[in-house]
Amino acid sequence: MSVTSTNVPPAPQTSGSIEGDVSQEFTAPARAHWLRRLLKDRAAFLALLTLALVILGAIFAPVLATHDPASNSRSVMTPPAWMARGNAEHWLGTDGQGRDIFSRLLYGARLTLLIGFAAVGLGGFFGSLLGLLSAFNERIDPWIMRTMDVLLSFPAILLALALVAVMGQGIVPIVIALGISSIPDCARVARGIAIGVMKQEFIEAGRAVGLSNLQLFNRYLVRNAISSIMIFISLRFGQTILIGATLSFLGLGARPPASELGMMASQGRDFLLFAPHIAVIPSVVIFIIVLSANVAGDALRDVLDPRLQA
Amino acid sequence: MISAVLHRLVLSVPVLFGVLLFGFLLVQIVPGDPAMVVAGPTATADVVAAIREEMGLDQPVLVQFWSYLQRMAVGDLGRSMISNKSVTSELGAALWPTLELMIGSMVWSVPVGVAMGTLAAVVRGSLIDRAIMALSVAGVSLPIFFISLMAIQFLGVKWQIFPFIGRPGPWYTAEGFMALFLPALSLGSILIGPVARMTRSSVLEVLKLDHVRTARAKGLSETRVILAHGLRNALIPVVTLIGLQVGYLLGGAVVTETIFSWPGLGRLAVGAIMSSDFTVAQGTIMIFALGFITVNLIVDILYSLLDPRVRK
Repeated sequence: MSVTSTNVPPAPQTSGSIEGDVSQEFTAPARAHWLRRLLKDRAAFLALLTLALVILGAIFAPVLATHDPASNSRSVMTPPAWMARGNAEHWLGTDGQGRDIFSRLLYGARLTLLIGFAAVGLGGFFGSLLGLLSAFNERIDPWIMRTMDVLLSFPAILLALALVAVMGQGIVPIVIALGISSIPDCARVARGIAIGVMKQEFIEAGRAVGLSNLQLFNRYLVRNAISSIMIFISLRFGQTILIGATLSFLGLGARPPASELGMMASQGRDFLLFAPHIAVIPSVVIFIIVLSANVAGDALRDVLDPRLQA
Repeated sequence: MISAVLHRLVLSVPVLFGVLLFGFLLVQIVPGDPAMVVAGPTATADVVAAIREEMGLDQPVLVQFWSYLQRMAVGDLGRSMISNKSVTSELGAALWPTLELMIGSMVWSVPVGVAMGTLAAVVRGSLIDRAIMALSVAGVSLPIFFISLMAIQFLGVKWQIFPFIGRPGPWYTAEGFMALFLPALSLGSILIGPVARMTRSSVLEVLKLDHVRTARAKGLSETRVILAHGLRNALIPVVTLIGLQVGYLLGGAVVTETIFSWPGLGRLAVGAIMSSDFTVAQGTIMIFALGFITVNLIVDILYSLLDPRVRK
């Protein structure tokens, strides 16, 4: 016995306990497992923590800001505190107009995140509604999906350019454009998930007890599909933020005196030679936000859908 | 084979019509009167009315749409509201610089991405694999304007290796080639991440297949197995991905052109929107959409040529 036990390789240490325990996949507590598995992934944990900190910073911007983000001070283009000529008064330095970069970052992250949330929310809502309807009613399914195909052939930036051309520069056309461009993706995912739900027995049972279509759709389909759909929609958050910030960088989105991260980077362009930190700091913050969202999203997808794992 | 291509062509007709309708509506729903914009703020009511008649704006919408379609068929996109030059000639002048930039960025980034993805797949699970994958996630998370600004800051200003403003000539001239370098470097860098990721998963998929095992069993060298049997088959999905990424690349081109003052379609579009030049904005947006549709059409056809299983 002792010989075999030394020869047998140790059982693989899996991070979760779902493997091999099929029964758990069908019970509600399975949801707790993915969260635990997600948090055990060190990169994903770090990414989620970063996102949480950025969101908290954005929410509490008025409390955390050390200066008024719009007020100019006499010290123009002060570098961050750790560099030569920097001072503790403005610890991330000041921009070309003498405004405190740290305070503007907090407010800028607020606007950038808000644009992202609004756009993903908008696209997610209409996309999943269309996808759910598609799965629910076979007659309208081909119509909806073909329309999605047409919509898919307009890249996000193109839609944004067109809408800005019509509505003028501003945050609203950017949110609408980013929202519209996430509709087809969301609709496809929602349809896929909803078709899975539609095959379940309780839908049949609901029909049998004479529920109306509206009740069936609302109570049975939507409630059972919505959480999975929402998680998949959140995967789009990183890219949406990135495009939104890029549009503001081009001067098509947020307008002064508001502060937005992409716009802050754009304002730093002219000072690249003498004060590179004005453009670099907001760009790095955008990078950190998008990277965290992408890393967390990838990990989430891996945990939830093992088939998609590379 | 031919029927598959025809089928695909027919499918793009509604999309094309959608784009045309979209372009028409774009000018229809613009707030304010296009004739007023053309006439300028000091024009009298008579002048505005004359311009409105000349532009056909006094006609019913359906008549306008029909004449719009007729003009589109012969490539007449109207005149710029600012410069009064024909939109077609403005687009023509900007088209080649944009193509040059997009091709220039793909020429280096696609091979690099494919090489990185293949390497990652071959050494799957190793530190190199993880480093390459981390790099590609970082790559898709970096704002393209940041990459461009850093390229200007270091390669342009600090070390003064490359010029970074404008396009002095086409790529085959010495100045033009040097000027293309930084914009193509910046734009191409956003493509590496997606290409590397796709190549990696595609190669992993193919290396599991039977013919690869047979090739190994025949005693072929590992390099030969991966290059001739693995990569060759794995590239099919990568080609599709590159087609899909053209939209993404177009978006990137808008940014790169603006930052590097590159006289292409992206800069033309942004400039037209900023100066409320609706006809030019309409023209650039439509040519972007048409380009995107055409590339996807070509990719789909290429796909059926590359992969015998897709042929009908």
